Amino acid sequence: MEDYGSGFEAEPGLDEGSIVARAQDGDLRAFEHLVNSYQGRLFRLAYRMLNDRGDAEDVVQEALTASWRGLARLQDVQAFGGWVYRLATNRCLDVLRKRSTRTEHITDPQDILSISTDGAGSDQLSDPAYAAERTARDDGLTAVLNTLPPEQRACWLLREMHGRSYAEIGATLKISPTAVRGRLARARIQIAEGMNEWR
Amino acid sequence: MALDDEPRLGCGRSIDRIWTTIDQPLNAHEQTCRQCQAARAQLKRLNEATQALREADLHDEALTPRSGVKTAIMDVARAEIRRSKRILLASNGNGTTEISEQALSSVIRAAAAEVPGIHARRCHIEISSATSDSSVDDPPSGQSGVIGPHLVIGLRSAVAPDINIPRTVQLLRQRIITAIPAGIGISAGTINITVEDLYDV
Amino acid sequence: MSENPLQSQLITSKLIASLAARTTLETPGVLRLEPTVKGFLARLGPAALQRLSNSAGQNGTYRDDGVRVTINDNVAVVHLDIATDIAYTALNVAETVQQRVRGNIGHTGLTVGKVDISILAIEPPPPAKIS
Repeated sequence: MEDYGSGFEAEPGLDEGSIVARAQDGDLRAFEHLVNSYQGRLFRLAYRMLNDRGDAEDVVQEALTASWRGLARLQDVQAFGGWVYRLATNRCLDVLRKRSTRTEHITDPQDILSISTDGAGSDQLSDPAYAAERTARDDGLTAVLNTLPPEQRACWLLREMHGRSYAEIGATLKISPTAVRGRLARARIQIAEGMNEWR
Repeated sequence: MALDDEPRLGCGRSIDRIWTTIDQPLNAHEQTCRQCQAARAQLKRLNEATQALREADLHDEALTPRSGVKTAIMDVARAEIRRSKRILLASNGNGTTEISEQALSSVIRAAAAEVPGIHARRCHIEISSATSDSSVDDPPSGQSGVIGPHLVIGLRSAVAPDINIPRTVQLLRQRIITAIPAGIGISAGTINITVEDLYDV
Repeated sequence: MSENPLQSQLITSKLIASLAARTTLETPGVLRLEPTVKGFLARLGPAALQRLSNSAGQNGTYRDDGVRVTINDNVAVVHLDIATDIAYTALNVAETVQQRVRGNIGHTGLTVGKVDISILAIEPPPPAKIS
């Protein structure tokens, strides 16, 4: 138990609101704690949005750096999580917008399947160890997911993979919580049908 | 916008409704409607696939950023933090000693960490201008009494729901009054503590 | 005064900076010198450093992590950014650093001007290594 010395292990059970407040005052260890707590989640979101490790890491870095710079302006400490998710989501959408001006947009599930089995559409399948650990079901779901339009995919990921609220997702995508609900329902049925074809 | 209307199957059933009742028994309509049954079977499969993917991603070591990402974030944070306010502690012919508001706050927070049921949040420190002149004068040599600027500390806090707030705040104030002379070497001055929130235990 | 202009060239601001840094780190209660923006830039690469030294390397000033020394007319002015151990009284630590740095620089034959200290962090000491 003498091992902590510095860091938040010295204050176990500190609530996230208090940690955010300290980071707002420029407490680096508090901010580091937030980085530890969010970098993995944001990376998983960005990776599923972008299918590229490097791009996903850039998004995590940019979003958390931006959160540091904007912390002082955050009014409600409880809103930190939703806010960094929003920063990351919007950066992912920016990256995809830039990509779509460079490459053709793929919308047909059959297209993405043939591309990802070539290993060109995503880097995960090029890694044999990675692919072996993944079940065909996971691959089917992610392949179909990649055929959804970016905002719909973001909507689905934020809700189904990250458990964010309708209100928060709506604020991120600048639509009403009701519209989030509708978009999710549409995404679900589309993915479900796509998975049928994959099978 | 039509896109945001609630999506429905051909039979008129809301897809969202099928999703939210996926674990419940079929109702009268669903028992006879083939569209509903097909959609339900598909969504059920999706539900399982979703849970499996969530679990797999969560525990996938490969789905974490390299350590360099955090290093880069913290480098920027560290480089930009030095702009925090400085408070003059002592000044004489040999030079000045100042302290960052950050360093002062960390002594206050360390003191607060010893008081159960209360979490220190934002801490704002001002110097009372009425007495700040005395801090610029050379202190009489050999005097070991506590001197320095008159601090005005504004500390915000969150408390556990089940505590006696006045007693806890008083305890925290006492801890700070002891900790500042011990850790920094000046008097604690005025301490304003605000309880702004409850935290879950 | 500057009747002996050679003196300031013999003793460089870099030498005084490393003397001041070592003296500071040997003072009980000092955890470290606080890295500045330059330390951060150093990790970004030589180009960033180049830009910095071009803009700040004039007038006999030397900067390193947490230390800034200027020598003008045989007078050394020192600024130190430090982190101290919370178990010590920070102001006492700073005063001891000030006295020791003044003393050690004085031994070089330079005149010591102001030794200014900024306490930028107060922390618990790093945990002892348990093997």
